[in-house]
Amino acid sequence: MNDLSSHRLVAGSEAGEHRFRILIHHTPTPLWYVDARGVGEIFERLRAEGLTDVAAYLDAHPELVEAAKDIVVVTEINRAAVALFRAEDASELIRPVRYLFAATPDMAKRVMTAHFEGRRNYVEQAKMATFDGEVRDVIFSVTYPTPPEELDTTFITIEDITERLQTEAQLRRLQADFAHAARVSTLGELAASIAHEVKQPLAAIVTNADTSLRWLSREEPNLAKVGELTTRIAASAQRASDIILRVQSMMAKQEPQRRPLNLVEVIDEAFHFVRHDLDAQGIALLRADAGRAPVMVVGDRVQLQQVVVNLLVNSIQAIANAGAADRRIELRIDVEAAEVTLSVRDTGPGIAEGNLRQVFDGFFTTKDTGMGIGLAICQSIVAEHGGRIVAANHPAGGALFQVVLPVSTLPLDG
Amino acid sequence: MAVPPVIAIVDDDAEMRAALCDLLLVEALSCRAFESAETFLAAHAPGVFASVITDVRMPGMTGLELLVRIKRCEPDLPVIVVTSAVDTQTRQKAMDGGARAFLVKPIRDADLLDHLAAFRG
Repeated sequence: MNDLSSHRLVAGSEAGEHRFRILIHHTPTPLWYVDARGVGEIFERLRAEGLTDVAAYLDAHPELVEAAKDIVVVTEINRAAVALFRAEDASELIRPVRYLFAATPDMAKRVMTAHFEGRRNYVEQAKMATFDGEVRDVIFSVTYPTPPEELDTTFITIEDITERLQTEAQLRRLQADFAHAARVSTLGELAASIAHEVKQPLAAIVTNADTSLRWLSREEPNLAKVGELTTRIAASAQRASDIILRVQSMMAKQEPQRRPLNLVEVIDEAFHFVRHDLDAQGIALLRADAGRAPVMVVGDRVQLQQVVVNLLVNSIQAIANAGAADRRIELRIDVEAAEVTLSVRDTGPGIAEGNLRQVFDGFFTTKDTGMGIGLAICQSIVAEHGGRIVAANHPAGGALFQVVLPVSTLPLDG
Repeated sequence: MAVPPVIAIVDDDAEMRAALCDLLLVEALSCRAFESAETFLAAHAPGVFASVITDVRMPGMTGLELLVRIKRCEPDLPVIVVTSAVDTQTRQKAMDGGARAFLVKPIRDADLLDHLAAFRG
C-alpha cells in the first residue's frame, strides 16, 4: 500500500515535470538552464581560503571571470531563446555562456558576485548581441539554485525591452518637441516685449558712446569721464547679451536636462521675459518669494522657466482682456515637507467653473489668439518633473494656478 | 522771467537715466533723474524744472499719463517723450497730449540737445 502510493507519487511527479518542460519550452519568455557547478566549486575553495570580498577579488582576477564564461555551460533553452538570438538551431545556444555576455562583458562579474554571496536572484538591464550582429536592450535575470534543489540548474531569463525603451524615448522626444514648439510660440507672443528689453541697454550704449565722443572732442578731453562711460557701455552690452542668451536658450531644441536648480532663480529668469508686458499693461507683480533662500528642485531649467512664463503670460492676458481695475499678479513659493508649491494668482475674472476641468486639455482655449497648448504643455512638463499642476479660482477672485514639485536633496552643482 | 535750469529725466531704467544725465552734463546742463512718474510728481511744482524728458513704459504711471498730469498743472513746461515703442499710436497720443518732441530709442544725441536748446530759445 505504502509502496504503491509512493510509486504513484513519483509517476505523478515525472508527468508533472514533463508537462512543466513543455510549458517552459513554449513560454514566450526566453529561458536558459545553465550549469554553474564548475564555478561553484571554485567559489567553495576560495571561501575555504577565507575570501569574503568577492567583487574585489574578481576585479583583481579578470582571468577567473573570463574562465567562468567557458566553464559555465548552457544545458537547455526554450524556443523563445532561439528566436531572441536569431539562431538557426537550438544547438547554437547549448554551449558555454560566453555569448550571453558579448555586449555587456562586465555583467559576468556581477552575476558571479551575486552567486558567491548566495543571493537568490540577480537582475540587470543590459545589452545583448544577437548572432546576426544586432544589439538589443534586455532585462537579464538570474535565479541561483540553493540546496536541496538541483544545484546543476541556474535559471536565466532574458526579456527584450528594446521596443519598450524605443517607445519611451520616442515619447520623451515628442514631449520635448511639443514643449519646444510651445516655447517658440510663446516667444513669438513675447517678441515685442523682448525687443523692448534688448533696446534699453542698446539705447544706453548709444547715448553713452555719443557722450564719450563729445568729451573726447573737447580741447582737453575728459578721459576719466570717458573711462567711466566706457565701463558702463561694456556693462550694458553684457546685459543686452544676457537677454539674447536667455532667448536663445528658450529657442534651442535640446534634450531636457535633469539637474539641481534653484526655483527662485528660475522664476527670476522667467520674469525677464514678461517684465515689459507687465509694465505695458500696468500690472504689478508681487513676489512673495523675493530674496528667499534657494529652493532646490531637479529638472530642466528651460522647461521649468517655460512653465513660469506661461502661467505669467496667462495671468497677464486674463487681466488685460478683462480690463480689470485691480491689476495684480501674486507669485509665491511655499515649501512644505518634501514639496514646493509655486502659486500664481491674478486679479483677472478667474476660470469659469465649467472650464476648470478642461484648462489642461490640449487645444482648449477661451482666447482669440493662441492654440491652447500652453497649459497642456505646462502639465506635461510638470508631470515629467514628478509634480502636478492644479487650476482653481481664488476665494477672493481671480485664477489661482499651483505647481507642486518635489524638493531636491541633491547638492547644487557648480 | 528766468528759465529754471534743471531738466528732469524720468525713466525706470537706471542705465538710461545715467546715460541721459551724462549727456546733459557734457553740455553743462544740470538735470535731476527720477525712476518713476510718481517720484517726479512728488518733486514737481510749477517753475521747478526747465523741461522734462520721460520714458513711456514704466511700472506704475506711464509717461503718457505723466504728460497729461504735467499739462494740467504746468501747460508751458516742455516735455520730450522718449520711447523704444515704434507704434504710431504712441507717437500720436504723445503729440496730441502736448509733447514738444517724440524721440525713439536709441536717440540721436544731437536731436535731444537741439530740442533742449530750442526750449531755452
